[in-house]
Amino acid sequence: MKIDGTHTINAPRDIVYRLMTDPVVLARCIPGCEKLEPAGENSYTTNLKVGVGTIKGNYTGKVTLDDVQPPAHYKMLVEGKGNTGFVKGSGIIDLEASGNTETLVKYEGDVQVGGTIASVGQRMLQGAAKMMASQFFTAINAEAEAAAKAEANQEPVKPPSHGFFRTTLRWLAGLIKGWFGRRSESQ
Amino acid sequence: MIPASFDYHRPTSIEETLSLLSKFGDDAKILSGGHSLVPAMKLRLAQPGVIIDIGKVPGMSEIRQDGDAIVIGALVTHYQVESSDLVKRLCPLLAQTAEQIGDVQVRNRGTIGGSLAHSDPAADYPAAMLALGAEITAVGPKGKRTIKADDFFVDMLTTALEPNEILTEIRVPATGSNKVAYLKVPQSASGFAIVGVAVNLTTNGNSDCKSARIGITGLSARAFRANGVESGLAGKALDAPTIKSASSKAADGQDPLSDIHASGDYRAHLARVYTQRAIEQALS
Repeated sequence: MKIDGTHTINAPRDIVYRLMTDPVVLARCIPGCEKLEPAGENSYTTNLKVGVGTIKGNYTGKVTLDDVQPPAHYKMLVEGKGNTGFVKGSGIIDLEASGNTETLVKYEGDVQVGGTIASVGQRMLQGAAKMMASQFFTAINAEAEAAAKAEANQEPVKPPSHGFFRTTLRWLAGLIKGWFGRRSESQ
Repeated sequence: MIPASFDYHRPTSIEETLSLLSKFGDDAKILSGGHSLVPAMKLRLAQPGVIIDIGKVPGMSEIRQDGDAIVIGALVTHYQVESSDLVKRLCPLLAQTAEQIGDVQVRNRGTIGGSLAHSDPAADYPAAMLALGAEITAVGPKGKRTIKADDFFVDMLTTALEPNEILTEIRVPATGSNKVAYLKVPQSASGFAIVGVAVNLTTNGNSDCKSARIGITGLSARAFRANGVESGLAGKALDAPTIKSASSKAADGQDPLSDIHASGDYRAHLARVYTQRAIEQALS
């Protein structure tokens, strides 16, 4: 399954790159991530409790960062196994500065999903992957904005809280903005 | 497979249900008819540690008239909706939709509240709810609130219900002399809608459309209102070219799902064809 997309993050590229390769920040932003523990160079083990609606799963897996070229490019390899099946994927992430205060994040990934979720829930996979990517980038954006603001004010960073509701509200706000954009396009 | 093990509770009141929900939080799932949850549990795609069976909670099993609307309790089965004289008389679109859900066994057990709360991307009721402009009542620790159908279906399997809320009833306006129809392309094994179109047209006599509400399910991550089709019909005479040109907008702005039953492009094509056929059926 191919997943790709572009997201705009409201912070300078250096900050966004730093946050997107920092395991502490990633652990806060990856939906359902309970821990991201180092397991070697640029390699981390993780526990994810994630799902969409009724379909929820517990996954253990490994995340590896490869081809790390700050501040513009890296590759992320993911493998995970859980009660609903397994997932194995890789994604290439490219960051482009858009002016001094914004970053365009482009990702292109290939994910193989197997097990029950792949045979029964196939039509939901693309949608679920998009949802999770959206939630991830909403959280990264909140982190990046907080970091950029702290840097501008020369204060220590106060990481934003990413409780389920706050992330969902932020992401819903983004969705709603998107609908209004789409509606005005179709008229 | 059999489900993973779980604890089972059977509350006898809404208050007890709410207190169980807040006690067990994320680990609890409400069990209504069981025809969305139990198959997921048997495949172990859902493994709630606690099941809260609301089958014995009173006050949610009736269909009653309230002015020019019908109020349907969350525990009402699809069979009850399809066979209710009140529904067939006042809101035939809902009866037409209910009788096309799944199969007889599913309709005998599945409930309207459960189906809506689960919000499967290919479920039939969401399209009808959008076409009817239904209102959903949810009860939570902060009290009762009403959610309009337009705001209810947020994303795949995701509704506007909070995790600590329970859907108690649905209020559906009577359709009077509106022209209505629900048409779907069923997946032959499961009966789920590859694409399903619900049409609710307010007309002037027979040939002029005052306004239209079109709900489409199965096409994308959640049921949606086909705004392009609606504005292509509103205020126009309902002749064949108008219907065809409006229907061509059925999939506009949507991201069609793709699976082994139908590719995204084919689903979009089906949406356009079946929107046209549903409108024609409503007018016939």
